[in-house]
Amino acid sequence: MGLDLSINKYADVSYDEKERLFEEAKSDDRWHHVLYGCYECGICVAACPSARFYDFSPRVIAQAVAREDVDLVYTLMNDSVWDCSQCFSCDRCPRQNSPGQIITVLREVAVRNGLQTAKDALEGYGRIIYKIMSTGSQVSPDMLQPDAFPDWGGHVKEISDNLDVWRKALPPETLHTTETGWVVDDKTIIELYLIWHMTGVMDLIEGIDEGLFMILVDVMEERLEEAGYDDITFD
Amino acid sequence: MASENILVIGGGPTGMEAARGIADLGYKAILVEKRDRLGGTPDEAQYAALTPDLRNAEEAIGEMVAAVTDNPNVELLTGTTVTSSEGEVGNFKVKAVQNGSEIEIEAGAVIVATGFQHFDPGRETQKYGYYEHDDVVTLVDAEKLLKSGNFVRPSTGEKPKSVAFIQCVGSRDRQIGNEYCSKVCCGMSSKQAIEIRQHVPDCKVYIFYIDMRMYGYWENEIYWPAQEKYKVNYIKGMATEIIKKGDGLLVKGEDTTLRRPMEIPMDMVILAVGMEPSEGTKVVADIFGLPKNKYNFIETIGGPLNTVSTEKAGIFAAGACTGPADLEDSVSSAGAAAMKAISAIRKIGVPA
Repeated sequence: MGLDLSINKYADVSYDEKERLFEEAKSDDRWHHVLYGCYECGICVAACPSARFYDFSPRVIAQAVAREDVDLVYTLMNDSVWDCSQCFSCDRCPRQNSPGQIITVLREVAVRNGLQTAKDALEGYGRIIYKIMSTGSQVSPDMLQPDAFPDWGGHVKEISDNLDVWRKALPPETLHTTETGWVVDDKTIIELYLIWHMTGVMDLIEGIDEGLFMILVDVMEERLEEAGYDDITFD
Repeated sequence: MASENILVIGGGPTGMEAARGIADLGYKAILVEKRDRLGGTPDEAQYAALTPDLRNAEEAIGEMVAAVTDNPNVELLTGTTVTSSEGEVGNFKVKAVQNGSEIEIEAGAVIVATGFQHFDPGRETQKYGYYEHDDVVTLVDAEKLLKSGNFVRPSTGEKPKSVAFIQCVGSRDRQIGNEYCSKVCCGMSSKQAIEIRQHVPDCKVYIFYIDMRMYGYWENEIYWPAQEKYKVNYIKGMATEIIKKGDGLLVKGEDTTLRRPMEIPMDMVILAVGMEPSEGTKVVADIFGLPKNKYNFIETIGGPLNTVSTEKAGIFAAGACTGPADLEDSVSSAGAAAMKAISAIRKIGVPA
C-alpha cells in the first residue's frame, strides 16, 4: 500500500490555484481548532473504520495540512477526503487534531469551488439531498423498495407492500407518513428553505448539481410563494 | 596536612557552577581553565541563544562568569593546563602549566568539568559534503550566523528560501562508533528553526529526523511551537546524500511516513552534529587515572542515583565530560559534584 500519487484521476491545476484552495481552507474559522501539529503517530488511523476498508489515512490528511504540502493537499481534496465516513473516531489525537473535521472543511472548499471530483463523489447522494432539502426530513419510508435495497432481504417487499399500515401502527402520530421520515410542519419547512437560501446552501447545490438545484428551486419557490414570500428568488 | 581546597578543572557552565557552589558553601574553589577566558563551549562557539528558553547566551553565561570572578572564595587560573597529579583524597598535588610556567596546586578533592566537543562532520557516514559545499553547515556554524543577526547563505550572502536540518549527524551510528543519542541536537535544531523563521519569515524550514527527542518541557516549549506556530516541517526520514544542483543543493532521502523517496532542493543544509568528549576530557581522564567508557567519556560509577562519583575517591566528574548533557544536566550535576566534593573533605576531618 502507500500513497499512489502517480495517477491523477482529476484535472491538474496550477500551483497558485492549489494554494488558493488551501488558503481558503486555512481561512475557515474552525481550522485552528482542528489542526495543531502532527506527530504522524497513526492513532487516528488505528481508530478509523474507513481505513480498514479503503486506502484511506486520516494521518496523511493531518500531516499533509500540517506540513502545508500544497500539492498533496490538492490531491487529497480530490480523492481521499471522500473516503471518510465523518464518524470522528479520529478525535482521540494527542495533539487534539481532528482529521475528520479537517476533512469537513476540505470537502466544503471542494464543493464551494465546484471541483469535478466533489460533483462525482456527491452524485449518488442527489436523491437523499433532494429528500432532505425539499421535505425537511431525511430518508423516507417510501424509499424502502425491494429493487432499491435488494440486499436487505425478502421482508423488504412485505414491508413496502403494506407501508401505510406499518406506519400507522407506530405510536407517535407524527410518524404516520410514508413520504417523509416524519411530519414536518409548514412553519419549519418554510424556515428551512429561508435558512438554506440566506446561508448560501442553495448556491453550493447549484455549483455541484445544477439539475438538482432546478428541481429544488421549483419546489421551494412554490411553497414560499404560498406562504407569502413571493419576493424570494434563487437565481 | 590535608587541603580543604577543591580543584575544579574546566571553566564552562559546569565548572563555573561547581566553583560558585563551593564558594557559596564557604569553601575555596581553584578554577582552572585552559583558555584565557571563562565561558566554555557556549562562549568559544559563540552561541546566540540558549536552548530551550532562547535566552541571550552572552548575557546568561556572562552572569555565570561574574559569579566566580572577583569572588574571594574562587581562585581563577585561566590559561592553565593540568599536566600531572599525585596523592589521594584530602591531599592531591596537581601540577599545571600556566602561561608557560609550571605551578603546583594542592587540593583535597577534584571536580573534572572538561566537557565535550562538537562532532566533526568530516567523519560522517553519509555523503553530506560538509567540506565540499559552502551551504552545508553545522548547528555551530548556524548559531554563529544567528548571533551575527544576518542569517544568510554562505555561498551568496543572500537570505535562504529553504533550509533543511539533518538530525543525528555523528550520533546513534554504529559505523561511526557513537551509538549514543547526543540529547541536545533535537532541541537545538528546533530552536534554530524557530529563530530562522523569525529572521527570514518566507524561508521554508525542514527537519529530517529519526526520532524527535525533546524531553520534559522541551516538548511544549520548543517542539510544539516550532511545528504549530512557526510551521517547521518535520519529516521522519534520514537524508543519505547532498549533491550540488545549480546554485543550490539537492537533499536525497526518504519521507518514511508518506512512503515516498524524496529529493528536495534546498538553499542551505544544517547538520545537527552531536557531542563527543573533548580532547581535554580525554587528557584529564588519563592524568587522574579515571576509567573512560567505550566512547571515551569519563565513567561515573553510581549509575542513575549518583551521577558524579568516579572510581577514584575524591575525584568527581560533572557535565558533558561524562556523556552527552544539556545545560540543565550540566549545572545540576555541577551542584551535586560540589556537594560530594565538600562531603569528601569533611569526612576526612572526622575522627574514626
